[in-house]
Amino acid sequence: MTTSTPLRRTGRKAAALTASLLLGTAAGLVAAPAASADDGGGTLRMPITGIGIDSLNPFLAYFAGSLDVFSGIYPALDRVEQDGTVKPYLADSWTTSSDKLTWTFKIHKGLKWSDGKPITAEDAAWTFNLIMKNSTAATANGSLVGNFASVSAPDATTLVVKTKKPQATMLSVSIPVSGIPIVPKHIWESHVKDLKNYKNDSFPIVGYGPWTLTDYKPEQYVKFDANKDFLLGAPKYAHMIQQAFKNTDAAVAALRSGQLDYVSGLNPTQYQALRSQSGVKAFEQVGNRWNGIEVNGGARTRDGKKIGTGHPALGDVKVREALALAIDRATIVKRVRDGLAQVGASYLPPSLPQYAWQPSGSEKFGYDPAKADSVLDAAGYKKGSDGIRVDPKSKRKLEFRLGIHSDDDADAKVSTYLAGWFKEIGVKVDIQSMSSSKLNADLAKGDWDILMDSWSTGPDPTYLLGIQTCAALPDSKGEGGSTDSFFCDKDYDDLFLRQQSAFDDKQRADLLRRMQAILYKANENIMIYNANGLAAYRTDRVNGIVAGKADSTGAFPAQNSFDQYLDATPAKASSSSSGSGSGTVIGVSVTVVVVLAAGGVFLARRRSSSDDRE
Amino acid sequence: MTHHEPLTKADPPVAAPPVAPVTSKPRHNGFTGFIRSFLRIRSGVAGLGILVVFALLALCAPLFISHNDLDVIKVDGPSLHSPTDGYPLGTDQEGRSILLLVIWGARSSLSIGLMATVLTVVLGSAVGLIAGHYGGWIGKALMHLTDWFIALPGLPLAISLSAVIGQGTASITIAIAITSWSSTARLVRAQTLAVEAKPFIERARALGAGGPQVMLRHVLPNVTPLILVSSTLTVASAILSEATLTFLGLGDPTGISWGAMLNSALSGGAVTSGAWWYLYPPGIAILIVVLGFTLTGRAVETILNPRSVKTR
Repeated sequence: MTTSTPLRRTGRKAAALTASLLLGTAAGLVAAPAASADDGGGTLRMPITGIGIDSLNPFLAYFAGSLDVFSGIYPALDRVEQDGTVKPYLADSWTTSSDKLTWTFKIHKGLKWSDGKPITAEDAAWTFNLIMKNSTAATANGSLVGNFASVSAPDATTLVVKTKKPQATMLSVSIPVSGIPIVPKHIWESHVKDLKNYKNDSFPIVGYGPWTLTDYKPEQYVKFDANKDFLLGAPKYAHMIQQAFKNTDAAVAALRSGQLDYVSGLNPTQYQALRSQSGVKAFEQVGNRWNGIEVNGGARTRDGKKIGTGHPALGDVKVREALALAIDRATIVKRVRDGLAQVGASYLPPSLPQYAWQPSGSEKFGYDPAKADSVLDAAGYKKGSDGIRVDPKSKRKLEFRLGIHSDDDADAKVSTYLAGWFKEIGVKVDIQSMSSSKLNADLAKGDWDILMDSWSTGPDPTYLLGIQTCAALPDSKGEGGSTDSFFCDKDYDDLFLRQQSAFDDKQRADLLRRMQAILYKANENIMIYNANGLAAYRTDRVNGIVAGKADSTGAFPAQNSFDQYLDATPAKASSSSSGSGSGTVIGVSVTVVVVLAAGGVFLARRRSSSDDRE
Repeated sequence: MTHHEPLTKADPPVAAPPVAPVTSKPRHNGFTGFIRSFLRIRSGVAGLGILVVFALLALCAPLFISHNDLDVIKVDGPSLHSPTDGYPLGTDQEGRSILLLVIWGARSSLSIGLMATVLTVVLGSAVGLIAGHYGGWIGKALMHLTDWFIALPGLPLAISLSAVIGQGTASITIAIAITSWSSTARLVRAQTLAVEAKPFIERARALGAGGPQVMLRHVLPNVTPLILVSSTLTVASAILSEATLTFLGLGDPTGISWGAMLNSALSGGAVTSGAWWYLYPPGIAILIVVLGFTLTGRAVETILNPRSVKTR
């Protein structure tokens, strides 16, 4: 899939935006606007998450930065702790009917929106109903209510949800960050007609949560005030500011110079550099994402019509198996992620150990180029004079396009390794760097051979597994698909339906593992690694950030931003900011050199034209 | 370098002596004269020296750099290590030698720079010649188009172009050419107008020469020196644009060029970790080569530019 769900997919910078990288770097180094606003309660300062905020309208937005903001300013029915336990939020308690089709939530009494109006079950019912009935409102989270039959609020504190089939994942539908944010009906009613264009930009935004959004300037900053009466305990900071950075290096420089308190999304080099810096604590979080390649095993519509220009040889499971055998995942973990990742196999990431699956020794497609060679030899793919194998059926060489995200540094790195290893087994790839939108458009049309991709997931993996079902294939016109690799398997689909209604968690985990085993054998989604989350904070500014050590299974604790910002506590201020290191100096000089160079181009041009004027 | 001798060439021999003195000025002594005057300009010689060194390095690179030295799956150097034994300029994250990368990067940077220049000069000269020769509404239309391109800011235009055409070497080359042909066009048109006003053109026409013949046989040889000068300077800015665009992530991210090295250094966190050996070599290489072209170009301009001769 393609467009939506970037909530689970990391933000990729739009290519054109890269242009502002220069400015971003310079701005980050020169000034951190508004960072010093401090009226006693302290201000927590961090960069905007991921690639930023696509919209403040929670019915439309799906960038990680937006979800991060919504989790702080709009409530959810319940929340999921890191160990998977469900805790109350707006709903104090909930019950299920004996046929598991009706859920009744008791909404907490006496809570008020930030404008003083009471929060009732009607607000929640109205929000869900709007997403169910209005296709625009369903843009961001429509799939989460797909199984809902009706939602009603018989009184102010009772919310009744009826589902078409039993839904085991009900308590993941409305949770902070990855679920549906509940909005105040009295504010949003008047905006339904123009929902598509409504920016939700009258400040302060009426909502409820640990924070109230007081100001937002696109591409610049978001400002929040703490909600002192927050149900789950008030934030320990009076204010929070998220600043826009186009470049993590700039954010790191700002952290070093004391202009930021907390930075997440570091790359391994930055992480290692910050680890040795005093006054800064750099820490790992368990990986909630897979990175790998998708292989076009035969793009088709729901009714089986072939579409696109995929290479026919990739329809042969033996070829895909050989590709999986040719990848030295451990080397990629070591070289690209500096060891800060796990070798990938399971479709579900290590952040969901209760569901993740590992192949047994005999099932495993480890790094074994000799075996890959023999698999291809046995299947009749003979090497030509140029060392490239030829498909005996279509007579085409095994030359595949390998699409990568132009804005992703790791994609470019990993793809050069893949190209090298594939060449060893007589498979040539042509690396094609594309913008995310182009890549996704080609994917949807089936115009691809191999793509690099990456997905993350919240506490419930339904969505991530759903993009591999037959139902996600495009319709007969080739439209409307949300498939990620055109994978379609009947057994997998059966298991998918069964797990949705499996209320016993053990039973569900078993079904999920069997689904992953099917995916693994098909090799249409070849997992390469699960990167650990890397973040850092200033120990002289902030306490309470969860940054523990790995547990016995090697998993690091992780917290979503909702909890992380709620738990952060101002440290006793020793306000001296430690000097900017040599990194900043180099950063400044590189920026200066590049700016000079760019200026030089223009000067040179102007000069040549002015000299030459007659 | 003989064809900038319009008068003697086009005139019947009898008419020559009073108009064109073939005696004193160095630029009239053909190729050796050109060399002699060039050698007298020290900065030009230095510039040319730089270019020769880099060109030799780039051309000979395959002789001493094997594919295995640059292939990420074959190299085994330390990751992002400062200069050390066997790696005089340190290594990148994949463990490749920065020195070898810089040398190999010269190939792509120089070839894109030269390709873009050829495109720029061909496009610009064609538009300039046609606009200058035909005048009228064709000339006006072409010049308005040129003005439009001159007025457009080059960098944003190049960025949007390569975003539209798609990433890669070819699109960068095209983007550079499209954004920089306009000044060459104006230059060539002005010179075309000046040349066409001269009596030998009128004579050629009287003898029955048509438009194409006048343009190609008489005007073009006379504007060639100017084109040559303009192109040496264009190379410098093309190389810089190439580095800028690849640095901004619009080139081939898996290719090896100076801009791409800076790009991957920056996105890989080399600034944060203080890996100066990853950042400075490609940057300084760009600086030196651009300087080389600019020095050479200015020197050639001083010798060939008809205007600078007149004012002497």
